[in-house]
Amino acid sequence: MKNILKNIHLYIGFASVALLASCKPEIESFKPSAGEQANFSKYIAIGNSLTAGFADGGLYLEGQQVAFPNLIATQLQQVGNKSFNSPFFTEDQRNGSGYLRLKALINGQPQMESVTTELAVRGVNTEGKPLYTKYTEEIHNYGVPGMRLDMAFAPYIGTAMGNPYFERLLPDNTDPMYTYKEHVTSKDHTFFTFWLGNNDVLGYATNGAVEEDATSKLTDVATFKHLYSSFLKDLTTNKQKGILATIPDVTAIPYFTTVTRAALLATVQASAPEVEQLFIETGDGSVRPATDEDLFVLPFSSAGLLGQVTPELPIPYGLHPKNPIESKYVLDPAEVTIIKQRVEDFNNIIKENAKQYDLAVADAYTFLNQVKSPGIMYNGLGINASFITGNAFSLDGIHLTPLGNALMANLFIDAINKTYGSNISKINASNYRGVKFP
Amino acid sequence: MRKLLLGLLLASPSLLWAQGSQVNTQSQKAVGMAGAGSALFVDESSIFYSPGALAKMNGNAVSANVSAIMYRSAFQEAGANEVYDTKFKITPPFSVFATFSPEGARWKAGLGIYTPFGGSVNWGEEWPGKYELNHLQMRAIYIQPTISYKITENLGIGAGFVYNLGLVDLSRSLPVSGPDGKSGRAELSGTGTGTGFNVGAHYHVEDVFALSVSYRSKVNTKLKNGDAEFTVPDALASSFPNTTFNAELPLPASLNIGLSFPVSSKVDIAADATFLNYSVYKKLVFDYKDNTPVLTDTEQEKNYKNGFSGKIGVNYQTTPKLALRAGMGYVASPVRAEYVSPETPDNDRIMGSIGFTYGISDKWELSGAYVLQHLKSRHVTSVATGLSGIYETNIHAPGISLTYKW
Repeated sequence: MKNILKNIHLYIGFASVALLASCKPEIESFKPSAGEQANFSKYIAIGNSLTAGFADGGLYLEGQQVAFPNLIATQLQQVGNKSFNSPFFTEDQRNGSGYLRLKALINGQPQMESVTTELAVRGVNTEGKPLYTKYTEEIHNYGVPGMRLDMAFAPYIGTAMGNPYFERLLPDNTDPMYTYKEHVTSKDHTFFTFWLGNNDVLGYATNGAVEEDATSKLTDVATFKHLYSSFLKDLTTNKQKGILATIPDVTAIPYFTTVTRAALLATVQASAPEVEQLFIETGDGSVRPATDEDLFVLPFSSAGLLGQVTPELPIPYGLHPKNPIESKYVLDPAEVTIIKQRVEDFNNIIKENAKQYDLAVADAYTFLNQVKSPGIMYNGLGINASFITGNAFSLDGIHLTPLGNALMANLFIDAINKTYGSNISKINASNYRGVKFP
Repeated sequence: MRKLLLGLLLASPSLLWAQGSQVNTQSQKAVGMAGAGSALFVDESSIFYSPGALAKMNGNAVSANVSAIMYRSAFQEAGANEVYDTKFKITPPFSVFATFSPEGARWKAGLGIYTPFGGSVNWGEEWPGKYELNHLQMRAIYIQPTISYKITENLGIGAGFVYNLGLVDLSRSLPVSGPDGKSGRAELSGTGTGTGFNVGAHYHVEDVFALSVSYRSKVNTKLKNGDAEFTVPDALASSFPNTTFNAELPLPASLNIGLSFPVSSKVDIAADATFLNYSVYKKLVFDYKDNTPVLTDTEQEKNYKNGFSGKIGVNYQTTPKLALRAGMGYVASPVRAEYVSPETPDNDRIMGSIGFTYGISDKWELSGAYVLQHLKSRHVTSVATGLSGIYETNIHAPGISLTYKW
């Protein structure tokens, strides 16, 4: 009896302690840490449009803010990163270069419009191409839309006649010979992300495998190998750690997979049922009927060329062998094979360099192939490579949505943690959007 | 370009009335013993706990009882630092019991209105599982007329009919963004009904022991014409028409065995074991009246196991007026880890409780109790959504009841 009485007091005691202590449940299983191998105090991001936060066919503030390096940097604050500054456009010039916006869905067809207000255009160069408001303070995100590995070593790229996104980062009167590589390897960084090389093959691919100028040139393998290694050598002179990323497969992005032969033909047949074939000019200059293996570039749909006639050439565009769809709008299977092979070669070089310089690799190639097929399920959110509805790619069909950037940031964080034994917290990607609908 | 087919995985709104949502607070006397006492307490709440005991009750009584359930969960996504807490919310399950019998009769009739399942959880619109759930509020109200008959002084039997009124209201984010960049939202609410029964027998030998066996049948609750409302960008409005839905939820059958015995003239010990036949809950189907390519009927796997709980408590009659009690219990969850959802992130749980009853007068009696349930932390990776992380949950339930006897 006495025992039971005692026990009752004990129970009451236990219960009161439990009440006080556990009103709110606690979880403490994750402890952010930098680990022993890498130092994240000064992180810089080197790369192209993907690193800059380019999206919807333009560079604008909202995209810059959710660029994957900026999302990574936020997480790095918990493991010793001191500051991460980006060349943001101001609020007044928030639309930067301008970008595409979805205006309406008409019978399920997207109608786009260009945003042309609140731009950061400060003038034009002698060719009439826009120059953007300068940003010459110290920055950590060195992403430059259009930057290629070969251009990173080339002179004049930082001039008004070069790349306007690089030019805006440099003070006036910068030596025209000053290169992007020199610029980013002189920053006393302790850690870096390096994602260059995409444009050395995708610039060629997006132009339908037609080399028109320096931006659409296909970089050869030997050059790529040499430049890639020499860039990394300069980035790791003080044994800095960093992470490289592979180049996505050309057939994994909606820019090449959205406009199909069948869809184009169906559009034509709606008004001209007698049309049975489309004609294309292939890479070798021959003309043949289009097949389902041919990949049409996304802008071909909005260019509105198909079926057009001109006074000089009164043959409907693309519907007759005498006026075929130009090679720059289509990748034929031979071109696709060349591009796929080049991507593979470049990615092998990237992985070899990672080994050589003891760096991590974010395998964007494999990740985006998974997004394409079978697609990924992220916390109840379906993500795939479909244009607009797939949530991963923005309205230009190449660059990522904020959600795509968040997933990319998590891919990098995963690889950094695995390689360097760090414990960097992942991002809650479900708070980032896909495409904005009107 | 091909016509847009939105690649959304829509919303199979997975409301469920899980073990996690079963918080038995029908009598503060039993709550004080962590849920044990079906054999020990012979009073108006026997309508719920042991219909066979009802006929043995002296006189008649009416009681009203309310609890304040605080269901507090936290979630941390795998590989991430941030912890997301559910918003603080008090759910007030209630019960009312009334008995009637002429003096000296061998039978007694009773009516119980109570809420055996129910809860409220609100994770908000910014946590990693927002496409699974924003908030869920639900309640099953059982209305149970019961008749009990005393075959001998020692053996009573009873049976009741159960009419269930189920209310549910839930929301989740939709992965479509408008011009402001915010996610869309689906809200589903509805009322369902179902019927079932309960039966029980109570046997006791004065001052030696008491035994209670009771069975509550499955109650299949059918929600008809619930409202489904979607907040989506204008361009997608035709894909997400506001519509109605039907759904069906089996509330599981349970078998309860209770035993009590005195250890002294003032102290009784009671133990209860409850088996929940939750394996009936295989899947949840939502049937929308208007379907579109993105708004399709959904079928969600649940694959529950059977559940079990064991409870033991001690009742100490300190004076004729004041009884104190304490109890503890263990609940084995019916939810498999890969099917755990944020509605009730269930797991095996331990409970501890304290309680009292004070006789204000011959006619009035006041009872109070507090139970704390701690759910073991649960590492989950949802098969339905891929959401992966740790849930940690505590449930607090203080309550009070007032009885009038005549």
